[in-house]
Amino acid sequence: MCENMPTLLNAYLDGELHGQRRLEVEKHLVSCTACRNDLQELRTVSDLLRAAPVPAFLPAERFVAQLILRLNAQDAALQLPRRALRDRPPKPAAWAGWLVPAGLLGAWFFLRTIFMLTTAISAADASGLLGQAGAWFTGGQSQAAWFVAITSLFGSQMSAAQQSTLSLFNQVSVFGGDLFSGFLWQAVVVLLYWGWLAAWWFRRAPQLVNVTAAPSQS
Amino acid sequence: MLATLTAETEADLIIKSQQGDRNAFGELVRHYYPRVVNVVYRMCGEAALAEDAAQEAFLRAWLHISSFRRGEPLRNWLYRIAVNAALDILRRRHEEPAEDETLQMIPEQSLGPEAALIEKERLALLQQAMRSLPEAARSALVLREYGELSYQEIASVLDIPIGTVMSRLSYARNRLREVLKEQILQAESEYV
Repeated sequence: MCENMPTLLNAYLDGELHGQRRLEVEKHLVSCTACRNDLQELRTVSDLLRAAPVPAFLPAERFVAQLILRLNAQDAALQLPRRALRDRPPKPAAWAGWLVPAGLLGAWFFLRTIFMLTTAISAADASGLLGQAGAWFTGGQSQAAWFVAITSLFGSQMSAAQQSTLSLFNQVSVFGGDLFSGFLWQAVVVLLYWGWLAAWWFRRAPQLVNVTAAPSQS
Repeated sequence: MLATLTAETEADLIIKSQQGDRNAFGELVRHYYPRVVNVVYRMCGEAALAEDAAQEAFLRAWLHISSFRRGEPLRNWLYRIAVNAALDILRRRHEEPAEDETLQMIPEQSLGPEAALIEKERLALLQQAMRSLPEAARSALVLREYGELSYQEIASVLDIPIGTVMSRLSYARNRLREVLKEQILQAESEYV
């Protein structure tokens, strides 16, 4: 039992042993002189610790007064980080709710710009300002390449119904091609323009923010 | 001398403190300051450091008073903060602690010059022995001897199992017993 005694003796000394374990330790102490001496020494260590004097600390009233002053100073100092926290840009999650309306607005603005560009080009073409280039801008082809190839190879062997069906496909193809090519280059123009606007804004934005923030700091 | 504070009054002061009432918090500090400063002094071994650690502990307590769960013993919660504050201050301080003012406070008039010198040496040795203990063992011992906490409370304050409290206390006291062997013999001879 002596092997486990150091821990048990401490617990016994502190009144933390109860019931059967306490009885066992007491029984052991009666028969074991070494453990009795150990217990006595542990008790003396405890007494020495508790008897050690303490210095005269700051009186409680003065301590509390100093603490309250520090609390006031700390609260004042905490105002700055709190304000900085408030002024911080919102987290990405907060932006998610704005993505749908912002996306719709962007798409609407994008299409409007393209239609405006198309209208301007059509007007310029109608008034003859674009000259020969008008056909390139507005899509001047009347026959698709595949239609020309098929009609030149098999045109004489095709019936009237087949020719009219092929002609219909050709018109659809030409219309789709014109629409796609016209939309594509206009979209590229719009995106380039927006890119230039965004680059200009990001270069100038810090200066603009500083200018607007300056009066509020004074 | 500790001012009396009933459980109802304390609970009321805690609620007010959680609502931001500094005067109510000041009352709590006034009540617990002697115990807290005593515990951190035993951790630090130096009066000036102990007062700094106590200030730090109560500042932290004020900042986190809203997280204090009502119904728990405030004393234990404060001890936990105080022990951590004391350890932080000790870690920040790299050089050896200066000789403590306590040693100059031994009253020579009552003991006589020779006995006062012996008492000073005894105290110095005791403080040195305490400082030589590992932080974990010292925290447990201080909370037991000076905080007067039960093993269960120490386990809760230090967030360790009760078996670890027992082993740390056993280690700390046995280590002190070896270091203070001579003093123990002398003390025992005085008792006889």
